[in-house]
Amino acid sequence: MKSTAPPIRIIVPGRVYRRDNLDLSHTPMFQQVEGLVVGKGITFADLKGTFDAMLRELFGDIKIRFRPSFFPYTEPSAEVDISCKNCEGLGCGICKQTGWLEILGSGMVHPAVFEAVDYDPDCFTGFAFGIGMERVAMLKYGVNDIRMFYENDLRFLEQFPPA
Amino acid sequence: MMSARGFAVENLDVQSDGDAVIDFEVTANRPDCMSVIGIARELATAYNVPLRLLEESPASSDTKTDKPGLQIIQLKKTEREDIDVIVEDATLCPRYAGAVVDVSVAPSPSWMQTRLEASGIRPISNIVDVTNYVLLELGHPLHAFDLDKLASARLHIRQSQSGETLHTLDDQDRKLSSEMLVIADTEKPVAIAGVMGGADSEVTRNTKSIILESAYFDPLSVRRTSKLLGIKTEASMRFERGADPELPIIAMGRACALLEAIGAGTARGTVIDRYPKHFESIILQLRRDRISGLLGEIILDADIQQILGNLGFTLESNATGWNVTVPTRRVDVKREVDLIEEIARHYGFDRLPATFPALETPTPPSDPRINQTRQLRKIMTASGFSEAVTFGFIAKPDAKLFSSEDELVPIANPLSESFAILRPSLIPGLIATVAHNRRRQRRDVRVFEIGSKFSRSSGERRSIGYSWTGSALSEHWSNSSRDVDFFDIKTVSEKICEVLDIQTQMQSTHEKWLVPGRSVTLLQDGVALGIFGQLLPSIAESFGLPDDPVYIAEIELDTTEGPTADRNIKVESLPRFPAITRDVSILVDETLAAAQLRKTIVNAAPSTLTEIREFDRYQGTGVAKGKASLSVRLTFQSKKRTLTDAEIQEAMEGILVALVQQHDAVQR
Repeated sequence: MKSTAPPIRIIVPGRVYRRDNLDLSHTPMFQQVEGLVVGKGITFADLKGTFDAMLRELFGDIKIRFRPSFFPYTEPSAEVDISCKNCEGLGCGICKQTGWLEILGSGMVHPAVFEAVDYDPDCFTGFAFGIGMERVAMLKYGVNDIRMFYENDLRFLEQFPPA
Repeated sequence: MMSARGFAVENLDVQSDGDAVIDFEVTANRPDCMSVIGIARELATAYNVPLRLLEESPASSDTKTDKPGLQIIQLKKTEREDIDVIVEDATLCPRYAGAVVDVSVAPSPSWMQTRLEASGIRPISNIVDVTNYVLLELGHPLHAFDLDKLASARLHIRQSQSGETLHTLDDQDRKLSSEMLVIADTEKPVAIAGVMGGADSEVTRNTKSIILESAYFDPLSVRRTSKLLGIKTEASMRFERGADPELPIIAMGRACALLEAIGAGTARGTVIDRYPKHFESIILQLRRDRISGLLGEIILDADIQQILGNLGFTLESNATGWNVTVPTRRVDVKREVDLIEEIARHYGFDRLPATFPALETPTPPSDPRINQTRQLRKIMTASGFSEAVTFGFIAKPDAKLFSSEDELVPIANPLSESFAILRPSLIPGLIATVAHNRRRQRRDVRVFEIGSKFSRSSGERRSIGYSWTGSALSEHWSNSSRDVDFFDIKTVSEKICEVLDIQTQMQSTHEKWLVPGRSVTLLQDGVALGIFGQLLPSIAESFGLPDDPVYIAEIELDTTEGPTADRNIKVESLPRFPAITRDVSILVDETLAAAQLRKTIVNAAPSTLTEIREFDRYQGTGVAKGKASLSVRLTFQSKKRTLTDAEIQEAMEGILVALVQQHDAVQR
């Protein structure tokens, strides 16, 4: 945003790092896709519509809910959950008996972020999100150990068809 | 319902007596909800029902109930009576209240113990239990000092002096430093402000009178102290997120009411309230058009007023919306957008519409790197390679094999030795991948990775790395079996250069980790762009690989943007005259590179030479050691006429002379 005037629509995939030890559900390096939409008249309703469409494209026939949350760079912030396909939302081990699975974090860009890059927050609004690709892949392909993605065992890799 | 309001239910545990323990996840911005009253206020707003608050009752009430009720005692503010409080640092301690209660220490009633235990707090004594009960109920931490164990009845709230120590309630000797705020008597610190009390002034069975502390400490200061000392308490967690500066006297009054109600003590009725740095309520402008502009829906004034009113905000209408007074407990509400969040939260995210953002400008072309990696993935997978993703940090001994040590980028605070260095090359990760699969009875391994590597002088650069070991062909009865060799990895490398749309020259390389004579540097205009060849067997062995050859390669990706969608293609008309081919077999030094041979041929040949193909290379019986027999097929063709045998003969003779002169070639 520092070097670009609005409107903005970007997707930024990449490796991110976190101080976590390697176990079933944690890894010190993972793949994150972040996105940002900024323009005149971008609303929370647009955020909802975009993720509704994106998550249905990824997971097919599911229910989606938006839950208030807190992130420092967005306000309001929303955690987005999808209904658990494994138990049809009834509650099981995968969804910790809740029927829902957290899938991404999102929110309306905080006006302080716009002020920091000299955009007028009374003029521009936007939404941002971040989604962890391992989590998506685990849910979509039924992978139960995140380490599989970094072990590079050919018996695992070859289950995915060539590009 | 509460999940939809931002308080996810972590756990629900129904007790044997019918009560339930509900564990809410409270986000870091909502310290006001780290309490029963905070959650109750959210529920009252969610269901639009009235919230019952604490009720004042006379100070000397002697009602002894077996349940807590909602009583609060109104204490009389006093300047100085039996105790005194001196706040020396108003920035770190904007408010400090103290009151004396005469007590008789005993276990607290069972209903109180049960409630504390259900909330994860161990009952200690009626006095301590009441302070913890108020902490859970109102979210405000309190502390009790044994008045008789203090050196003086005067408390100083000050920064610690160097060399001071405190034996804290958890039985540890703590070294204090000057940035920490302490509560001290006239001699020494007796508590670390907002974090933990001292053991010497702890309430015991023999305690007769206590000073009850109810204060507001600076959040940053408490966070810093808690981190420096490594102590996290129920109190510090609330103070560091931000307590309510208007709550100390109410919490104190409530504690006194409870102490009296359970027969644990009697407040003397006065309180010293030092409030040197008064908090002004924030007033925010809330504009109607900003609410709909951000949420995408027009929300009725009545709904807005009801939601904010129930949450404790005071609204005053103006031309464009409202002036909103924020309650001091809402440390998270600092600007208009925070109020809009409150409206959205309680209006319900689920009730807001779902739309697509309108397009303002045409979509710009996507980053060329996306197309580049997509193409690379296609040819690599089509060539039988699987895509690996290895970690960006590797062990130092592995990194040192592939880079000079002064180019390595170490991680300041690595997770472990095996994650100590940002990888200088994709190759060590790929070798480890080959080794992993080899250990699992997989002999044929073809893997590639596209990713970043790091060095001090060039920073972060992307490259593609690939490795091939085992069979060159897929195992099948129709294939003869053969292991991968230099020419297989060369073919793949050439395909990659083709995708990247780069012309390269090959030059033998002297990298210490490759087998000499079976490895090559790829150059573009003299600049090294990649490398491929056979991994030195001793290195392969150090990764636990058996001794059959492992071929590896790495090619830079940031020097070229790769093919653009629209290459500048101009079609040439097809030749109308026949082509003539001639084969030539020569004996040359085995180290002669094909590229050099081609160069000699092209320089010596007329412009009618259109194609050179090296179609055979032979070493063994009949060929002297150190020599190789090469067979090359040359194609000549003209666009204008049919070539004659004579001119081809002449061209071939010229080429042969050049080969003899420049490479000591012997025609076979």
